Amino acid sequence: MVSARHSLQTKLTASFVILILLISGLTFFYTYGATKSALKDTIQDELAQVAGVMATQVNGDSVILLKPGEENTTGFIAIRDQLVGMRANSKEITNAYIMKNSGNGIVFVVDDIYGTDPDAALIGESYTTGETSTIFEAMKSPVASKDFYTDKWGTFMSGYAPIRNSAGETVAVLGVDMTADKVIAKQDFIGYTIYLIMGLSALIAGLIIFYFSRTMIRDIRKLNDTAEKISMGDMSAMVEVQRNDEIGELASSFSRMVASLKIMMSDDDDKP
Amino acid sequence: MSQLSESILKETTVYLGPASKKFLERQTQAHLNGLQFDNLEIQHRDELVKWVGISAGLLIGKDKAAELATKIQRL
Repeated sequence: MVSARHSLQTKLTASFVILILLISGLTFFYTYGATKSALKDTIQDELAQVAGVMATQVNGDSVILLKPGEENTTGFIAIRDQLVGMRANSKEITNAYIMKNSGNGIVFVVDDIYGTDPDAALIGESYTTGETSTIFEAMKSPVASKDFYTDKWGTFMSGYAPIRNSAGETVAVLGVDMTADKVIAKQDFIGYTIYLIMGLSALIAGLIIFYFSRTMIRDIRKLNDTAEKISMGDMSAMVEVQRNDEIGELASSFSRMVASLKIMMSDDDDKP
Repeated sequence: MSQLSESILKETTVYLGPASKKFLERQTQAHLNGLQFDNLEIQHRDELVKWVGISAGLLIGKDKAAELATKIQRL
């Protein structure tokens, strides 16, 4: 009896499982990478669209009137509440705010967390990160961050869109943020789903291969047992393998050979 | 060798290999009144089929022997 380690069944199953894992692994990395990239593109488009829609709802003429220190005026409160209301409609958006070009750089005009978060930006507060170039770009049309960026409020991906006054001139930019955690959670979810599907596929394929190799090896063992019995002089041994594949052909040939051997070895007076 | 003998030998060789001639010879001589297998005629076929089914069953198992007998019967 061949040990499990040297068994053809073990070798076949192990080889196929390794092959499946290798193919699944490579497919996983490629699919995950491509899906992650596609998801990022989708989120960027979504952020730019949300910012674009929200920006059209804001009155640019009112925004431009706000000056530093006017955080408690009805004009400011009305715009802030409008931002809070619009943000509430999208559970993915964590912040909404308005910024403008002061001439010396980007400054905040309205931050929707003003009044609820002590870290809220005040009117005229300067904003200087690598993201400012994207904000300048948004003066023309809706855009999204090229990648994640980090500022004092956290790590985000954002969408920006121009706010225009009644004359159609861009006076400010509306920004919406999605935290990196949410984007990464979405990417991870897809990754885990792909991983799970491939893991299950590999497991099922492994079981199928195990089953087929087992039936194949079982019949080879039967042939081997018959050969062993005949070699030890037991002429009553018979080949009991019924298959339609190559092993079946081997069994038929072997059966023929055994039958001939029995006939040749029997004396003329003996049966059969 | 008669045509029937040739056909039966050909069919039997698939199951019993090169010793088929010896096997068939033994069946006809033992069970068909010492008849030479080469001289087999159609009227002997049924009796031969019966003994092939029994004797080949001891060599290759009953199922395969029955399969062989049916094939010879159809010749």
